Formats: sequence, structure tokens, C-alpha cells
Amino acid sequence: MSSNVWRDTWLMTRRNVKTTLRNPFSFIPNLMISAFFLLVYEGGLSGISQLPTFEGANYLAFILPVSIVSAAIGGAGGAGQSIVKDIENGFFSRLLLTPASRLSIVLGPIIAGMLQLFVQTLLIIGIAFLLGLEVQTGMGGVLFVLLIAIGWGLAFAGYSAGVALRTGNAQAAQAGTFIFFPLIFLSTTFVPYELIDAQWLKIAAVINPTTYIFESMRTVLIDGWVFWDMMQGVIAITIVSTLTITFAAVSAKRAVSRG
Amino acid sequence: MNGKIVVDHLSKTFKKGGVQAVKDVSFKVEEGEFFAFLGPNGAGKSTIVQILTTLMNATSGTAFVAGFDVIKEPEKVRRHIGAALQETGVDPDLTGREMLELQAWIFGFGKREGRLRAEELLDIVQLTEAAERRIGRYSGGMRRRLDLALTLVHEPAVLFLDEPTTGLDPSNRMAVWEELRRLNKDKGTTIFLTTQYLEEADNLADRISIINDGEIVASGTPKELKARIGSDLIALTPVDGGDEDRTLHLLKSGLMDADVIRKQEKILIYVEEGTRQLLEVARILDRENIEVEDIQLSSPTLDDIFLKITGEGKRSYEQ
Ligand SMILES: Nc1ncnc2c1ncn2[C@@H]1O[C@H](COP(=O)(O)OP(=O)(O)O)[C@@H](O)[C@H]1O
Ligand SMILES: [Mg+2]
Repeated sequence: MSSNVWRDTWLMTRRNVKTTLRNPFSFIPNLMISAFFLLVYEGGLSGISQLPTFEGANYLAFILPVSIVSAAIGGAGGAGQSIVKDIENGFFSRLLLTPASRLSIVLGPIIAGMLQLFVQTLLIIGIAFLLGLEVQTGMGGVLFVLLIAIGWGLAFAGYSAGVALRTGNAQAAQAGTFIFFPLIFLSTTFVPYELIDAQWLKIAAVINPTTYIFESMRTVLIDGWVFWDMMQGVIAITIVSTLTITFAAVSAKRAVSRG
Repeated sequence: MNGKIVVDHLSKTFKKGGVQAVKDVSFKVEEGEFFAFLGPNGAGKSTIVQILTTLMNATSGTAFVAGFDVIKEPEKVRRHIGAALQETGVDPDLTGREMLELQAWIFGFGKREGRLRAEELLDIVQLTEAAERRIGRYSGGMRRRLDLALTLVHEPAVLFLDEPTTGLDPSNRMAVWEELRRLNKDKGTTIFLTTQYLEEADNLADRISIINDGEIVASGTPKELKARIGSDLIALTPVDGGDEDRTLHLLKSGLMDADVIRKQEKILIYVEEGTRQLLEVARILDRENIEVEDIQLSSPTLDDIFLKITGEGKRSYEQ
């Protein structure tokens, strides 16, 4: 019966994409906040880039990763939200009553969330180009940035789906999302590490994996193909997504098993 | 493939709270039979339905549905059953038609067959006109009917319905009853229905088990149960200060084929033929000069039945 996994996953994903598009307010606010980072900080803070530490880099390219990570987290969070919605509507049980593969029932919303993330990230990059973005490494660099966004989104999707499956409760899943958002700010969000004043924020930035995501994206956007600087993000994604996807898998197993 | 349900010494204790919701329950439902579980809130009906539909594991005991073990072969069971749980399971952002098509495709229908099946079912549950509307805008009754249609997509051999008419208005209730009767008679679908309403079980089921506090306390055809319980109920309220013990005694000895019990300030008389017996009761009261404040003839409610069964000791009602 496992031959149906693909077909089931396709059916589930398509349905999740459809219902997401029917609820534009589930993604428009996040998209606007992400675009806001670009427009407002590029407009208001770009003077910072005249400082010597920036070595003349374009502030737009510096702030873009913040906008992308915010869009990625919002998009991937859609996975958890769909799952919670299904549990609350009793639809999750309806699916468990069908012969649909258990994997597809959980995978559908996660894939749909990743697609949402992909589109949102593309839109943000598009806006950045309209604002005059120049990428040091060209289209290859944009592709790398997209891959990092997807990787980090997957890490977050695992986390949000895990929380959703464990609690089955919209408020709890929402609260779970809010833990990820501050991570965006406890980092080298607006200025490079060298310009951070407060000791506590320096420590937070070093511990915070988001910092490495930002750094690897900025590497290709501003500096060029610097292998080890790019790898920081890849390593952070590997570690965090291993943890969150394991968490999601364990929670999923519990949710579809019959306690 | 068969439409039988065989449950043997089934028990369920919830880890959370330690509630023993199902206590050593055994019963059988034959192929094509319409079987009802009748019991109050918290009796354990939904727990049993969830175990039989593979959503939950039992603590001990075995259950076979459509010839397959619900614990060991859940995938096979799922292919042969349909279930409408106590809470409907629909996606409010899809239209009725999309919901049915999705269900059909999940059950392996081809693209076109799924479309046709959805069309057919929309017609059966009279939702064709609302087919293109989002389910979020459906009324409670429409949602229930759609939920029922969803369970029928793959023509299951066994259908589980957990309180399918609770919260429905009379016309929707009648529509659901009609459909269930048709399925059972025309298609030979085995139906396992739970309800809190005696009237519903009586109207639909070939056989009823009464469940209370996780245990089956009585089983039989509606006729058999009524013969034990009495299909009508005469409730009388003696005036204050009368000799209630004497009244009780006189009624008990004066009435044939009747069960007379006391419930607070009332005396309840369970009888087979209410109208005839009512005259008899009036005659006794008149002859003995007993005054009553109120006298009523009605059908017993589930409460009345439990009172009677537990009042007499449930041992004698076990099969
Ligand atoms: N998931 C659960 N966890 C703990 N206790 C439960 C759970 N589900 C039901 N119960 C308890 O089991 C008993 C039977 O519940 P249920 O099967 O829902 O009864 P019914 O459907 O007849 O109203 C109740 O005491 C209820 O509180
Ligand atoms: Mg129930």
C-alpha cells in the first residue's frame, strides 16, 4: 500500500496549497512585515553603511537576509498552522480514518508550507532587485540564498509542525512561532558583529544560529564565494533541522498512533 | 469480506486521568445488522467507536471488524469501514464538492470516477445546490449530511455513526434516519450507531445494547428490551401527606405486567400498554380513595430506563 505515498502526498499538498490561497490573511501580514524590513531599514538606516566596518557595502544587501529569514519563518509556520486547523476541525481524524499513508497526512502541510516559503522568498528578492540590489556572486548567489532560506525554513517547519501535532492547539502553536521571531533580532540583524555594543547581545548573537544564516547569505551577497563563511549557515541548518525534524517526526508518530 | 463486528473482553483505561472508560465489553454485530449503542454522556460510546475504527488502541481484549483485527490490521479495517465521529471532520475552506472528491481520490478512485462519485453523493444527501459553497458557510445540519456522505464514498461494509443526529433539528434528523435505513436495507451495510435517544435506537436498530459507565447493562431487540422495561411510563405524584407506602403496595399488587418503583416524590409505573393500564391505575386509585396531584402517561426516557435497570440490579439484564 506504500505505492500510494506519492499520490497521497500530492493530494494532501494540493489541498493545503488551495486552502492557504483561500486565506490570504494567513500570509499577507508576514509578507508585509518582511517587505517592511527592506523598505524601512534600507530607507532609514542605510547611512550606517558609510561606516568603515561596512567597507562600502550596500546596506540593502546587508538587510536583505533579515527580510528573507522573516519571510521564510512566516511561510514555513504555515505548516504548523494548517495542521492545527485540521486537528481543531476534526479533519485530521477524518484523514486518519482513511487508508491515506500516515506520512502523507503530515507531509502535505509541510510541503505546502515550504512552497509558501519559496514564493515569499522569491517575492522579497524581487522587491530587493527593484530597490537596486546588486549581488556580488550573481544569480548563483541568489540561488544559494534561496537554498539557505529553504533550509532554514525547513528547520522551522519541523519545529512548527511538531508543536502543532503535540498540542493540537492554535494558541500554543502561535506561541511557538513567537519563540523563533526574537531570534531574528538577537543577532547581527542591523549591524555587523563588530559594531554591536552590548556584551549580552554579542553573546546572544554568537549562540543564536540565525547569526550564521545571516552571515552565509551576506557572504554571497556582499563578499563573494568564500567557502567557509558560506558553510556556517549550512552547518547551522544541518544541526537545527536535525533537531526540529526529529521532534516533528516523534510528535507525528505520537499523533497518528493510537495511544 | 464480511460486515461483522466481533468484540471480545474489550477494556480501555485512559492513561491521562486513569479513567476506565470501557470495562470488559463483549458483543457481536452480524453482517447487515443495524445495531445501536444506547447510553448517556460519558458511558464510553465514543471510546468504543474510536477503538473499532482504528483511531485508538484498547488496553486489553480483541476486536474484529469486517474480518480484520483492529489492532493488528488497521489499514485493512480502514478500507472496509466508514465512520462519522461525534464531531464532524471537514475542512471549512473546501467546498462540499471538493471535499467529497478529495475523499474519493484518497480511497483510490480515478480522477473521473471520483468526480462522478462526489456528484452522486451530493445528490443523495441533498447538497447539490450547496456543492460549490465553502463548507465553512454550511449550517450544522448540512455539515452533518456532508460528513455522512464522506463516510459512504467507498461503499463501506460497516458504517460507524457516533451520535449522528445529536444537535440536529427534527427535519434533518428524519433525513438522516431515512438515509441510514436505506443504506441498511438496500445495500446491506452493517450499521453501528450510538445514541443518547431511546426513540432513535428504537426506530432504527434491529438490536440495542444499553451501555452505562463502560459496561453493557442490557441487550436485546427493541421489542425484547421494551418487554423487560415497559414501553410506556405512567408517572403519578401522590398528594402530600398521603400514605405513599400503601399506594405503592396497592399498585404493585393490583397491576399485572407492570413494574412499579418510586423516584423521589413520584411513583413510576412501567407498562406494556399504557392506555389500558392507565385506566386500571385510575380504577385502583378511585377504589382506594387515593388522591393524586398529577398523573401522566409518556414514553420512558433513557433516564427512566437506567433508573429501572439499576434499581432492579443490573445482573438480571445481562445476557
Ligand atoms: N482522551 C481521553 N482521555 C481521558 N479520558 C477520556 C478521554 N476520552 C474520554 N475519556 C473519559 O472516558 C469516559 C467515556 O467517554 P466517552 O467514550 O467519550 O463517552 P460517551 O461517548 O459515551 O459520551 C468519560 O469518563 C470521559 O471523561
Ligand atoms: Mg461520545
